Amino acid sequence: MSETILDLQDVTLRFGGLVAVDGVSMDVRQGEIRALIGPNGAGKSTIFNLVTGVYRPNQGTIRFGERSLNGVPPHRLAGLGIARTFQNIRLFSSLSLMENVLIGAHSRGRSGLAGAVFRLPPFRQEEENLSLQAWEALAFMGLDQKAGELAKNLPYGEQRRLEIARALVSQPRLLLLDEPAAGMNPQEKSALMETIRRIRDTGITVFLIEHDMRVVMGISDRVAVLNYGKKIADGLPAEVREDAGVIEAYLGTGGKRERRRTRPVVALPQVALEGGAGHAGN
Amino acid sequence: MAQFLQQMVNGLALGSIYALIALGYTMVYGIIALINFAYGEIYMFGAFTGLFLVLTWKANLYLAIFGAMAFTTVLGLVVERVAYRPLRRSRNAGRLSALISAIGASIFLSTLMVLLHGPATTGFPTLFQNRNFVLGGASISLYQILIIGVSALLMVGLDLFVRYTKTGRAMRALSQDADAAALMGVNTDLMIAITFAIGSALAGAAGVLAGIYFNAVQPYMGLMAGLKAFAAAVLGGIGSIPGAVVGGLLIGLAEIMGVAAKLSDWKDAFAFAILILVLLVKPSGLLGRSIIKKV
Amino acid sequence: MSTVDNSVSGAVPGAPAPRRQPAWLKLWPVQALLFLALLVAVWAVTEALNLVIPAYQGQILLFTGINVIITLGLNLITGVTGQLSLGHAAFMAIGAYAAAICTVSLHLPFALALLLGGLVAALFGVVLGFPTLRLSGDYLAIATLGFAEIVRVVNTNLKITNGAIGYYGIQKRVDLPLVAMLAVAAVAAMAWLENSRNGRAMRSVREDEIAATASGVNTTFYKIQAFAVGAFFAGVGGGLYAHTTTFIQPTDFGFLKSVEQLSMVVLGGMGSIAGTVLGTIVLTAAPELLRFMSNYRMLVYGATLIVLMIFRPGGLLGGVDLRDAVRRALMLGRSRTVRTSVGGDGQ
Repeated sequence: MSETILDLQDVTLRFGGLVAVDGVSMDVRQGEIRALIGPNGAGKSTIFNLVTGVYRPNQGTIRFGERSLNGVPPHRLAGLGIARTFQNIRLFSSLSLMENVLIGAHSRGRSGLAGAVFRLPPFRQEEENLSLQAWEALAFMGLDQKAGELAKNLPYGEQRRLEIARALVSQPRLLLLDEPAAGMNPQEKSALMETIRRIRDTGITVFLIEHDMRVVMGISDRVAVLNYGKKIADGLPAEVREDAGVIEAYLGTGGKRERRRTRPVVALPQVALEGGAGHAGN
Repeated sequence: MAQFLQQMVNGLALGSIYALIALGYTMVYGIIALINFAYGEIYMFGAFTGLFLVLTWKANLYLAIFGAMAFTTVLGLVVERVAYRPLRRSRNAGRLSALISAIGASIFLSTLMVLLHGPATTGFPTLFQNRNFVLGGASISLYQILIIGVSALLMVGLDLFVRYTKTGRAMRALSQDADAAALMGVNTDLMIAITFAIGSALAGAAGVLAGIYFNAVQPYMGLMAGLKAFAAAVLGGIGSIPGAVVGGLLIGLAEIMGVAAKLSDWKDAFAFAILILVLLVKPSGLLGRSIIKKV
Repeated sequence: MSTVDNSVSGAVPGAPAPRRQPAWLKLWPVQALLFLALLVAVWAVTEALNLVIPAYQGQILLFTGINVIITLGLNLITGVTGQLSLGHAAFMAIGAYAAAICTVSLHLPFALALLLGGLVAALFGVVLGFPTLRLSGDYLAIATLGFAEIVRVVNTNLKITNGAIGYYGIQKRVDLPLVAMLAVAAVAAMAWLENSRNGRAMRSVREDEIAATASGVNTTFYKIQAFAVGAFFAGVGGGLYAHTTTFIQPTDFGFLKSVEQLSMVVLGGMGSIAGTVLGTIVLTAAPELLRFMSNYRMLVYGATLIVLMIFRPGGLLGGVDLRDAVRRALMLGRSRTVRTSVGGDGQ
């Protein structure tokens, strides 16, 4: 087994009385594609936000490689090698694709105010390097032809790809993808799965949240399942799919009716889970 | 102690005026997140309307207040219609465009009054004999009773309106989620217009009260009063009706206390110094909802 | 622990086509010299202009130049970094008083006084920048407004500023060529700043703070930096103003002045240097051009702001890519990357 790159130990986060994440421990290993699934509101995105420092855990530790992430300011994470995308796309929408990706490369540069105003050779060299890296990232995601367009004018699927390009350009060791397939059609989803594999093949560890079981079961090496903020299963895709607790979380059982009634959406993942099972049968 | 009580009374009277204007700011902000910079000018027009009614038609106090409220209601609606509604309709107009438009309306209105009346300050004719009552060592004038009384009446009325009428409920729904409210059949434009109307009426009443209290009416009186009232609304937590009242009263009190402490030269800075200090400790204002950052 | 080569390079051969520019033009000493030559040219032209045009028009030009320097600073804070400021005139006031005190009481050279005025204003910019750690949007706007009012009241009550009477006896040290050169330098500095890692980080703060943070941008740092640099520009502009009018008083820098400066930035097109310059020229000249209307001119001014915001909410140049427009006008062919639909997108 390869070594652990991200390690969550007993992580808990409360919002007032609500326990959003409840004593979750899980790890992500170097070079794998790791998935986190669960019904809506299970706390998946919250885990990402904890890892990226948007929220601070009430208890527990998060380690990235050898380093504890407790108390690391969120803007430092990109430099340490953690990049992410967002569930509801967050692009710099009135800037061009090129500029979006250049900002993604912020942590790869060092120049400041003086460099910008005096434009001495080191500054120019850095700008050239950054823009070269930006081109590469755009091309990797197949967006280099549109580099000059404004992000807000892109179709939805390309916006998602631009977000990934922006994350990739920082040359992360760990890439967090928050529902990358949301809103995509089947063709786009297959292309996305291919892209995620390609990213993994460059040596980047991928940690993703996804609702689409076809995508999750198709590409993940290991899958963890979250329900009501607690981890209820963790293992190979096939194991997780058979897990009684997981099936109960998604489909509910007679004995749990009481709880189910409070859950807003349950129908969507149900369908997706069946779809996933069908795919794996092939 | 008596001295302190006296300042409390004075501060309460001044604060009531700020609170009335602050209500207009906070209601409009709560619903469409717009800083209506023209409110100070609507308050000024209220004062002038009252003055005009008293001078020309020999109106009594009540007529002056009601007349001013009626006129500023119309004025508020016109400003909303001309300067804000077209911007709301335009998809390209950001919040800053609306702000600049509001500032344009403010400059327009104050200049208009300079043209109509001239820049000079006019005293307010005596409507009734002022008298002082002594209350636990502090004296309170009839004017002060009038201001505090009318303000309290209007605020309670507003609170009841927003809480218990169908229109009030629609307004609250709108401030929570404009799209959802529209889907539920709330007539957004109408509700926004009503909000402007109510806010403007309150500012009009505040204008007459201030004219009587300070015995001074002039075309630029709206600027500083408006800024301080806006500061009051933010201090209390913008969008919150009780917050506007609390903020208004606090700023009125602070100013009076400052004057009592022989710092009257600095009094215009108090409102803002308090505001900044409060915001640093509680960024959403005293009674404001804190916004949870959503990712 | 093995390091992994996780660069995505190699996947694509396609690097950008290099710009067609002679190699010698890319050498920085050459560019520096060219820039100096530009400044000299500006000086020569304005010096000549000064002889030809009447004093009154020259004065309007001069104030336009000073205003450009100041509004470029505001554009950096509000237009580029997205931090709404309603108190920019306070920085101008601080710079004006500081520079005036430097030359009058401390007998410092004028150039040094200008620089110090800018630096003192920048210091206050940092001080005001700190509330931005916690405030955003309209709360920040009201805090900046409050700050400006406090500065005005303090200037009215301090001995060193000579209070409400105003500070007089400042020597007139400013002429059109000086202002023109400084304004051109200011435009250039802003253009360079915006087109850099530093400037992109500032824009990312305006666009989406959460995504900016995730991209490694320290949003707090860039907000404070924007306030400091923006205030510096306003401070220098204030110093120029003081040494032009030779007399300053606290009411010169009130709320309406801040509003006027914001109007200039928004009118031209937020976040655009060309827009800021255009808006400043229009709004500096407009009241003068409208002077024949005497009392009605502020009425027209107010109405114009409303009408412009209704019909061009993104500002006069909002959504216009100037470089593209110029290129098209000069028939120099299309830009390297194809731009679809840029027009009509105001900010």
